[in-house]
This record gives sequence, C-alpha cells and structure tokens, in this order.
Amino acid sequence: MKKILNIHSFFFVLLSVFIITSSFAQKEKKDKVRLKAYYVKIMNSEVYFDLQASARVDGENVDVSKVELVIFNIVDDEQLELGKVTTNAVGKARFTLKDLSSIKPDSTNTYNIEISFGGNESFKGASKSISFKNADIKATVISKDSINYVTATLLDTASESPITEESLKVQVKRLFRSLPIGENFNYTDENGTILVPIEEGIPGVDGILTFEVVLSDNDDYGTVKAIVKAPVGIPIVEETTFNDRTMWSPRNKTPLFLLIFPNLLILSIWGLFIYLIINLFKISKS
Amino acid sequence: MKNYDKLINDLAPQKFGKLGVIWTCSLIVIIILGIIAYIDQLIKGQEVTNMRDYALWGIYISNFVFFVATSFVGSVIVAILRLTKNTWRTPLVRIAEIIALASIVMAGITIMIDMARPDRLLNLFIHARLQSPITWDVIIIPTYIVLSFLLLYFPLIPDLAILKKHYKDDKPTLSKWYGKLALNWTGSKVQKAIQEKSIKIIALMIIPVGLILQTIDAWLFSTTYRIGWDSTNFGPYFIAGAFVAGIGALVTIIYIVRRVYKLEEYITEFHFDKIGKLLVLACLTYLYFNINEYLIPAYTATVDEAIHLETLFTGHYSILFWLVMVGGLIVPTIILLFKKGRKPLPMFIVGLLVVLGSWWKRYIIVTPTLLHPFLPIQGVPESWRSYFPSVHEWLITFATLAMAFLIITILVRYLPIIPIQRTADENESFENNKNAE
Repeated sequence: MKKILNIHSFFFVLLSVFIITSSFAQKEKKDKVRLKAYYVKIMNSEVYFDLQASARVDGENVDVSKVELVIFNIVDDEQLELGKVTTNAVGKARFTLKDLSSIKPDSTNTYNIEISFGGNESFKGASKSISFKNADIKATVISKDSINYVTATLLDTASESPITEESLKVQVKRLFRSLPIGENFNYTDENGTILVPIEEGIPGVDGILTFEVVLSDNDDYGTVKAIVKAPVGIPIVEETTFNDRTMWSPRNKTPLFLLIFPNLLILSIWGLFIYLIINLFKISKS
Repeated sequence: MKNYDKLINDLAPQKFGKLGVIWTCSLIVIIILGIIAYIDQLIKGQEVTNMRDYALWGIYISNFVFFVATSFVGSVIVAILRLTKNTWRTPLVRIAEIIALASIVMAGITIMIDMARPDRLLNLFIHARLQSPITWDVIIIPTYIVLSFLLLYFPLIPDLAILKKHYKDDKPTLSKWYGKLALNWTGSKVQKAIQEKSIKIIALMIIPVGLILQTIDAWLFSTTYRIGWDSTNFGPYFIAGAFVAGIGALVTIIYIVRRVYKLEEYITEFHFDKIGKLLVLACLTYLYFNINEYLIPAYTATVDEAIHLETLFTGHYSILFWLVMVGGLIVPTIILLFKKGRKPLPMFIVGLLVVLGSWWKRYIIVTPTLLHPFLPIQGVPESWRSYFPSVHEWLITFATLAMAFLIITILVRYLPIIPIQRTADENESFENNKNAE
C-alpha cells in the first residue's frame, strides 16, 4: 500500500514539475515592450504626452498595437493615476492634459510621470518614467526699421527666470511641414530671448502667417511650443472655381451654355416627336 | 392588277418554315439562359462578372457600343439614301429600319444590364448632371429609340392597310391587328401629304440625331483622358465604325431574308452591288480613321501609349487586333473592290466578317485601355490586372444578341420586309414611263 502511495507521489511530483516548467517556458516566450514618452506643451493650449510602444520580436522591431498604457503622476512616494490610453495600429497613443495645473510637481518643481504597461499574453509588463520642469515661451512679432521679427523669451515658470543658451526653432506653419526661418540654432541670450528676422514674401491666407517657436525635446523642459499669428505675409489670392459654373461643378452649378443649348436641342427634338405623334392622330382621323 | 396581287402575295409576311421555328426556339433558349444568368447577377451582384477595379467596363459595354453602332444603319440607308434620292434603296429600307430599332432597344437594355443596381436607373434622370457624358447618353438613347420607331412606323402605315385587306378573309384576327395599326389608312391625299411630310421630317432628324448618338458614345470614352481613348478624332472614328457595323449587319440580314423568303426578284444582285459599294466606302473611311488612331500615337508614343500599343500590335491582344483589322476590315475591303465580290454570297461572307470584326473591335477599344491606367491601383490581386468575361457575362451577352435577333425575327415575321405600297408605286411609275416612251 505504501509502495503504491509512493508511486502516486512520484507521478504527482513529476506532473507538477512538468506543469511548472512548461508554464515558465511559456512565460519565457513573452517579449519585452519598450516604451517611449515625450512631453509636449503648447503655450495657452494643451499639454500632452506622446507615447509609443514597440518590441523586438524575432530580431525585428515591431509596433505594439492595442495595448493599454496607464499614466501616473509621481509626487514624492505617491502614485496618482491620471488616466489610460490604448496604442493605435502603429503602437502610438497620445494622452492629453487640460493644462499642467492638473498634475503636481515634487518639491524641486519637477514633474514626474510614469507610463506603465501591465503586460498581456504576448508581452511582459513595462514602465517608463519621464521628468520635466515647466517652461514658458512668450513669443510676439515686432517690426523694427521696416523689418519684421519674431521675438521670443524662454522662462523657467517656477522661478520666473530666463533660460539662457538654449536653442529655439522658429518656423512658419505650412500645409504639410513647417518652414524654418532664421538660423539653424537660435540661442537665447542672457534674457532668455531670441530675435529672428522674418523673410519677406512668405504667402499666407489673407497675409496672416502662423509662427511656431519651439524648444525641442529639451532634457529639462521637454518640448515647449508657442504659436503666434501676424499679418506679415503676402495674401494668397485664392484661385478657386468652387462657386463658378464649370464642367466639374455639381449639377446646381452647370454652365449656362450647357443648360441652354442641350435643353433647347432636347426640347426641339421631343417637340418634333410630339408633332409627329399628333400627325399619327391626324392620319387616323382624316 | 395581277401584278399588284402577285406583289402582295410575294411581299406579305409569310409563316415560318421548320428552320424558322428552330431558329426562333434556339433564340428563346439562349435568352432564357441569359435571363437566368442575369437574375443570378442581380442576386449575387457583379461579383459574378470578371469586371474588377481595373476592367470596370467589360464585355457589356463593348456589346453596348456595338449595338449603338449597328443602330446607325437607320440613318445611313434610310435617311441619307432618301435625301439623295437613291431609288435602289426601296427593298432595303424596311430591313434597315428593323435592324436600327432592334439594335438601339438592345443598346438601352445592355446598358441597364451593366448597372449593378438597375433599381436606381431613375436616379440617372433625377440626379442628371448635364456636364456628364453619361447623362448625354441617357438622354440620347431613348430619343433614338423613339425616332427609330417612328422611322419604321410611318412608312409602314400604307402596307399595314394593304395587309388588313389581304388577310381579311384568311386571318381575320391578324387582319384586325393590322387594321388597328394602319390608323384608318385609305390612301387619301390628306393622309399621304401628312405621311410624306412626317417621313421627311424624320429623315432629316435622324441624321443629326444619329451623328449625336455615335459622337456621345465616342465621348463617353474620349472625355475620360485615358490612353487609347484620349483622342479628338474619336467622334468621327466611331461614326465611321458605325457605318461599317450597320451596313455589315444589313448585308448579312438581307441575304438571309432574301433566301428564306425567296425575294431574289425584288432584292437583286444590283442591290447587293450598290450596297457593296457603300460598304467598301465605309470600310475605307474607317480604315483611314484607324490609321489615324494608331499611327499618330505610335509616332508620338509616350511611355504609356507605347505600352498600350505594344499590347495591341505584338502583345496580349495582338491576335485579336490583327484579326479584326485584317479579317474585319482589310480583307472585306479587298473583296468588295471586285465586282464578283459584290455578288450576294461573297457579300454575305463579307457582311459576317465585318459584323464579327465590328463586335470584337469594340472589345479591343474598351478592354486594353482599362487595363493600362496612368496610376496602377495599389494592393489589388494580380488577376485583376487582366480581363476575360466570365460565364455569366458570356451568357448574358449572347442573350442580348439573341434578343436583338428575336426582335428582328418577330418583326420580319409580321411586317412586310419590302415596302409593298412603295414598290407598287415605283412599278407603276416605271410602267407609265415605259408606255410614254
């Protein structure tokens, strides 16, 4: 009896080992997700985090789509959940805050954000932390000696002190990609200010140009963007035939000649048909 | 009077023989098969065809263009020969009018078959956009149907009155029908004046309307800015092609009707000779336009044009292309240039060649161009880059051709295919002239 029990125990142990090892083996197959996070602040507008999830599967980088990412605000030892987003088909997601006042900085005025992925059947859990300080860009367009300039000042918001020796990009918003103006690197001076001349002859709808001053992916402040509009461009004369009667317009804007002549032709032909049919009646009655 | 009675006996519609019955039944069987295929197409959608994103027009549209072209025979033979006072046209006009009516009716039906949602046909009128060639087509086809019907009907009225009288004792029911259709025709001066005036108006109208029909048909293609279609010559090119197709069809059917109804006395070798000369003129004109359509693009060849022409001259469609050009146009022209070639039997063979060539010609106008768009469509299966009609498409197309033949057959069965009254009048006038001499 004891022998039988021992055999049973032996098989039970063997089965347990098999199940445990196989479940470990399954876990080992899971791939590691890499998370990337970028903080972007648009002045007088929204603040958002651009997130991306990718993984290396069988030696190739693949986008990890449809996974849920949780965004936390870390304040000292406290973890405050801000919300959740799901990655799209190319592994990207955007989490938008109304403004920075909806999250809290730590004692050094640094904002700490953690993006966490809890893992799923295919991928292991992962997290990514980013830290940034709040910066402001105050941009305006000024005119000096008949030359227009974009001037911008970069300030640390918490200390209200200028941020010096940082490069700001200045560009004009276009339909597809923005058009850079000024030097490649426009470094802020001791007042945190740059002054970039605006070239003449840039076209804009009604002459209004939209300038972007960008602190791009800074280690301390992330990406900060200020947008300013000014009527310093050449007005675009819109050559549209939308309201005209053209061959490519909808039916309510058919060219008049096409309404008049074919309809006259149609009416004449069908008028003659009516006359001919009347003639048939006349033949019948005469 | 004896001659007049003989004339009526010879030209009055005759009952079909065994062969005629077999022919009619065969047509009905083909039509039924086509209707079954069409119902299946309606249920399953145009997935049953081989038309895809590339070949979005296929055999239906080439068949439609063929019918439109063939219907032109009404304008050519009846109107032009009438206005130019060619009296030899008399025994041929009725058959030409019948072919024109049958063809244009079938063109209208074929275009509906090509529509994936025929229940939305009315939308073409309700939401018509006059800038669109499709709208022009939608307007001109019903117009030409009405005109072709009037062209057939007006000259027929006196003959219907004759038939009413002729069948009064033997076939009273048939006589009653002829009587109704004859509109109380007595041959009075007033009636004759109204009839002649009406025929004159129709003859004058049908030439521009026929030209508009063929031109619109051509513009359906040439306004799309596609390789092989983008040509300012396309209107006259289609008109010339329609001349060929129409006269070819006329020659073929005249030969058959002449033999079956034994009308050798009325449709003589003289008529074949005359119509043969007309056909050779049409063939040469069409040949000229073909040279224009292919030679100039070949000379100025852009890359896309060169690819398109290569598929026609030496590539995938080359056998069909050369068969159509040589078999359907050059060989008939050569045969018709000789007097012996304009005898009835050679003319019948030439007519068949021309009609077959005309049908396939429309196929090679429509399909190869569609397979060579300026911007290749991305992500489509490889099989979509080529086109050959599916079984459904063939069955439906054969059914439409059979329907056209059935319309012709029915009209030939019940109408005098040679105008009786007109032939009698001409004979009388001939006799009077002879006596006067």
